[in-house]
Amino acid sequence: MRRIFRALPGPLPIRIVEAVVLLAVVLVVLHFFYSWLGTTFLDPGGTVG
Amino acid sequence: MQDVPAAGAAESSSTTSSGLLMRMVRAVGWTLIWLGLLTLGFVAHQLWVTSWLSERNQGELSANRVEYNETAKITEVEYVPGVIDDATGQLVPGSAGGEPRTLLSEAAPSLGQPFALIRIPKVDRLTEGWTVVEGVRLADLRTGAGHMPTTPLPGQPGNAVISGHRTTYGAPFHELDVLVPGDTIEVETALGTHVYVVRESFIVKPTDVWVTNPLPGAWLTLTTCHPTFSARERLIIQAELVEGPNAVAIYGLQ
Repeated sequence: MRRIFRALPGPLPIRIVEAVVLLAVVLVVLHFFYSWLGTTFLDPGGTVG
Repeated sequence: MQDVPAAGAAESSSTTSSGLLMRMVRAVGWTLIWLGLLTLGFVAHQLWVTSWLSERNQGELSANRVEYNETAKITEVEYVPGVIDDATGQLVPGSAGGEPRTLLSEAAPSLGQPFALIRIPKVDRLTEGWTVVEGVRLADLRTGAGHMPTTPLPGQPGNAVISGHRTTYGAPFHELDVLVPGDTIEVETALGTHVYVVRESFIVKPTDVWVTNPLPGAWLTLTTCHPTFSARERLIIQAELVEGPNAVAIYGLQ
């Protein structure tokens, strides 16, 4: 994590903003991935057919 | 004197291979830690994030449903009961003959439209009711319980089918397995409140679409995943209409 943060370009304040944006993107991607995983394997909603 | 370089080379080689081993162990360790964190994240997402999203949606859906029900178009339609054909096992509408009866009917809602509220006094999380939307697409079921559009609306003759999540997205049907014959289910629509009594509960495969077939009289079929935390089978609850705006006309009672 620290290594990724240090590898971000720009001065410290810019790097903080970049890290926040990066984290948000990762969370959104994870949300969609988990939703797909859950509705496919765990609980598709109980429909038949 | 000649042994010294050989010993140094051996020591250096041993240091290199032990360094490589340490790096590999560390890499495997970090991979396992990340996989564990991702798995914990998945569990937290399914149990809490989806429920939070669904409960937040329920507030909006509830207001939308009340507004929709106040403006829903209600008409009177003629109805002649049907009987099941022995040869095909299918319900033949109007085949019972007799005088047509007058029923109240509401226009079919558009997909995604919240239009009903399901209440089950015996199920804790459904005592206050859970909004039912039209449609059983993934997006519909993430917001509320979903009515299968190819089946009649609750309170109408035939077999109205409603599906819902068992473990995620608020898990409205989590405790459906506690229902036994005799328990009541209430569904509120623009027509009023329809009361059903549970007649049967059973387990089927997800491909057993016969549970949605039309039935004589007026029925409500609830479907959800079974067992809990698995999509392997479906738990089916079938209940018969006993009270409501159309109950008397459907069963020909006076």
